[in-house]
Amino acid sequence: METKGILTLQFGHYSNCIGTHWWNIQEAGFEYNSSDPSEINHDVLYREGLTEKNQVTYTPRLLLVDLKGSLRTLSERGDLYEPLPDPCKEKSRVEWQPGHVEVQSTSQYEKNQFHKDLEDPEKAEQVAKMTYDFDKGVQVWSDFLYARFHPRTVNIVREYEHCNENTPFDAFPLGTSLWRTPAFEEDFADKIRNYVEECDHFQGFHMLSDSFTAFGGLASGCLEHLRDEYDRKSILVFPVIPSHFPTTNDCTTAQSVINDSVRTVNLALSFNQFATHSSMFVPLSTSTRSWRQAGPGRNFQYIDYDAISPYNTSAILATALETLTMKHRLRASSNFCLSDLAADLTLHGRKAVAASLRLPFAMRTGETLLDNLDQWQGPLTVAITPNCEIGNARMMQHVCIRGIPTTRLKKPVEKAGSQRELPAYKCCTVQEMFQMYLSFVTDATASHVTTVNKPINVRAPFPRIFDAKIGANGDLLPEGSSRYDNTAVEKIATVSGLHNCSEIGDMLESLHTETRRIRIPRLHQFTNEGGGLERDDFEECLDNLFALRENYEDNYVI
Amino acid sequence: MAISLLNPKAEVARAAQALAINISAAKGIQDVMKSNLGPKGTVKMLVSGAGDIKITKDGNVLLHEMQIQHPTASLIARASTAQDDMTGDGTTSTVLLIGELLKQADIYVAEGLHPRILTEGFDKAREKALEVLEKIKIPVEINKETLTDVCSTSLRTKVHPKLADVLTDVCVDAILSIKQDDKPVDLFMVELMEMQHKTETDTQLVKGLVLDHGTRHPDMPKSLKNCYILTCNVSMEYEKSEVNSGFFYKTAEEREKLVSAEREFIVQRVQKVINLKKQLCDGTDKTFVVINQKGIDPMSLDMLAKEGIMALRRAKRRNMERLALACGGVAMNSLDDLQESSLGYAGHVYEHVLGENKYTFVEDCRHPQSVTILMKGPNKHTLQQIKDAVRDGLRAVNNTIQDKCLIPGAGAFEVTANKELLAFKDTIKGKARLGVAAYAEALLVIPKTLAVNSGYDAQDTIVKLQEQSRLSAEPIGLDLASGEAINPKDRGIFDNYLVKKQIINSCSIIASNLLLVDEIMRAGMSSLKG
Ligand SMILES: Nc1ncnc2c1ncn2[C@@H]1O[C@H](COP(=O)(O)OP(=O)(O)O)[C@@H](O)[C@H]1O
Ligand SMILES: [Mg+2]
Repeated sequence: METKGILTLQFGHYSNCIGTHWWNIQEAGFEYNSSDPSEINHDVLYREGLTEKNQVTYTPRLLLVDLKGSLRTLSERGDLYEPLPDPCKEKSRVEWQPGHVEVQSTSQYEKNQFHKDLEDPEKAEQVAKMTYDFDKGVQVWSDFLYARFHPRTVNIVREYEHCNENTPFDAFPLGTSLWRTPAFEEDFADKIRNYVEECDHFQGFHMLSDSFTAFGGLASGCLEHLRDEYDRKSILVFPVIPSHFPTTNDCTTAQSVINDSVRTVNLALSFNQFATHSSMFVPLSTSTRSWRQAGPGRNFQYIDYDAISPYNTSAILATALETLTMKHRLRASSNFCLSDLAADLTLHGRKAVAASLRLPFAMRTGETLLDNLDQWQGPLTVAITPNCEIGNARMMQHVCIRGIPTTRLKKPVEKAGSQRELPAYKCCTVQEMFQMYLSFVTDATASHVTTVNKPINVRAPFPRIFDAKIGANGDLLPEGSSRYDNTAVEKIATVSGLHNCSEIGDMLESLHTETRRIRIPRLHQFTNEGGGLERDDFEECLDNLFALRENYEDNYVI
Repeated sequence: MAISLLNPKAEVARAAQALAINISAAKGIQDVMKSNLGPKGTVKMLVSGAGDIKITKDGNVLLHEMQIQHPTASLIARASTAQDDMTGDGTTSTVLLIGELLKQADIYVAEGLHPRILTEGFDKAREKALEVLEKIKIPVEINKETLTDVCSTSLRTKVHPKLADVLTDVCVDAILSIKQDDKPVDLFMVELMEMQHKTETDTQLVKGLVLDHGTRHPDMPKSLKNCYILTCNVSMEYEKSEVNSGFFYKTAEEREKLVSAEREFIVQRVQKVINLKKQLCDGTDKTFVVINQKGIDPMSLDMLAKEGIMALRRAKRRNMERLALACGGVAMNSLDDLQESSLGYAGHVYEHVLGENKYTFVEDCRHPQSVTILMKGPNKHTLQQIKDAVRDGLRAVNNTIQDKCLIPGAGAFEVTANKELLAFKDTIKGKARLGVAAYAEALLVIPKTLAVNSGYDAQDTIVKLQEQSRLSAEPIGLDLASGEAINPKDRGIFDNYLVKKQIINSCSIIASNLLLVDEIMRAGMSSLKG
């Protein structure tokens, strides 16, 4: 079978948080001893490699970018291909006048318990079952990273420092000019090419980008490069926005208003670029609103999460990514690729697409999908695209259901009873039943349903965000009972969708309105000194957003 | 590594305080960098909190590895980056000189002199220093000897002498082989390729190209002699387009039809290459190599392999140009009028495999105008150190070709300029002369630091050099081996004209900006950021 490889690109700290959870949950689902091949073709996102000692490696086909100081205990090149150098030995190897070699080491960060256990052969197997205090201990994404990376994966920007106000990487033009520095572009473009070259059937890119910071500019620069160099490959972009923007204690009100404006302009400029160069882009956030300040968090039934914690919110978005990218990663649909997804969802130039999630999709033990859906009131999923409430009419949508096996579809004939009266009883697969369900609850909508039997593994280091009504196996516990405090949920079923609907027009309109109100000349970050953004470019960006919005007017539909 | 400098509260710091902060920050950085200057300077091995290692002696690299906690520091860092971008050398000197200019200024400011008057003096001194530079520059012939002198002076300040000599040879040879008469050299036509393998002194010049990828078909030849080289940017893979939505193409046959039509199109393309190969090579001892910037899928690889053609996909964009210069021929954007004249030639093309990495050597080219420096080293941080050094070495050679002149090194320029500035000072009316005096004194930081780093006393050395300089018509520098005065020209110690010129200009400007902290405050700290 031909594997159609995808290269994933992550730009910025929040993207890397989401990515970390995403790679973690994928690897938690790897089956090493199973005789039948997994439903998911992991080779789409992973690559097999070989160390110089001829050991086989299996690592994400991934490039990520972050700022200096964001890695803490993670070394840039990792220790998968060669052990970390020993400073004493390396010092003695340096050939220079004796006495003129000086070692300067930053105090070594101490690894957290999770990483210590991972390195301990006796404990490594148990890690998923252990309890760690990630909620308090996590400072950066590498603190909860389980996956191991290829030496070329991590790229650190040295000119700017993570969480250092004196070197803010806060405005779009800083990102575009960073991309243009020869040291960055050449190196990064080479790494992209190295990954693409080794794929026999390369299909395209997944890109996650912190579009509220200068990383939006960096991602845009990269995107233009990809369009130039890999013209016919598909590029699926996920601009991601956290649900909380930390401020320092001494941040004045005036400064905070400026920060809000800067973020909003970054988003507008990024969306404009994504609309031009991506195949499709899907803004993601666990907040209801994302322009200026983050609005209240989205509510997910049976989840109790901390909207301020990137460690929490990024985990939710990672389950969505894992679910909604299923169709082009399944063995069963190996003919379906990113380009098909984009073709299905972006008619009439509607390149912005909304996403939604149901996490967890919990059924009672013994309950059938048929009964569950029959009794379900309200929308199937919750929107995870900001400033956008997904309706139920005139849509193109792809929906994926993960973790409901056919055995839980309906009651067997002899016990079916009144179920047999329901039209959905004749459905023989989860897919058919969902398809039918969606046709009942939507209007003038083309839906495509994908199903995956296996649930998502959410053991440590995934945050413990599921409330006590959810059992360890992801089922809804019987009324009155609850899960023990010290047991974790191990796996859950999910539903996630991509929707092309007119409500995306609302999102674009509100972004356009918010951005239009901002007086750019007053933001030094966007003046020529800050890296240069011509007034005309800004006006053009606003016009483009407005034009994109018009593509979503109802009279254009299908 | 963190140098903890005062944490600024820009809004509240009054001008005087702010100036004090700037000066102490600049001094702080100067202290960290001092020990690095010159061939006897200290090599620093930086170990990150996670155990990553970096080995360097370069001021700019060091600055960027530090946590820059002060806007002053980030301004100085920017000056040193600019110095590196424009000239490839002189970054430590830049940091030292800015720090010293502020230190000298501090003495006068403490006595009540207004910073603006000092900066006026700085500006006059800067112009005078540039005049001195013009006066002492030595016009040179561009030949192997000259280029070797300057390149080796520069590289011996970066890596140990044995390696410096290997790299000097490689850099000078590289540039001489691609240089054509009086045309400017395009440094991009020297490809730098890393190979984690063997030791640093195995670094070598390949008079052709080395690509960081190889063949992707088991039956393809791994080594060919006497090769036609086709360089092209033409897709040889079947790619689905995004226009056909599955919602509308319901029937499988309909889709299949589209697919096979597009597939057939690609087959036709590959066939064109095969036809040319058959026409030119069959029945001769010639062989055929395709190097494509676009993709080649397994079906196309299979067709090519059956014909004994070696084909590489996804070559670097820049290698299209390099290949044309190394092998001749033209990079083709279409295969429609493919002819023998579009092809290049290489005597030997072969693959080398190291773990999961493949390399393809395109060698024995007839008149290669693009070459490759193949850098070797046992680990990543050594390779990085070599790469930094080679880049700077190439720049030193190229700067010399552009400048057509050199500056005597070993502190000779600074000592001479100091002498001339002190004389010049007396011709200036008013207090601006104090700025000139401060500038003259500050320049001496370079020879002083060179002396201290070699274990000599700073003041003794300066006195010695100044005395010699008064007696001698030619510029006088410091012999680091003996601590005595020498004529650097006799020892082949040269610096680039461009490097010194850039140092003079940028240091004066940055130091003045830091002194005029008042104005900077008003313009907003923002201008110092980023
Ligand atoms: N062999 C030498 N003897 C004395 N001085 C030297 C010698 N080689 C280089 N220098 C001097 O060392 C200085 C450059 O030192 P270096 O460490 O390269 O710092 P920078 O980053 O400023 O280039 C120049 O002033 C140069 O003239
Ligand atoms: Mg130097």
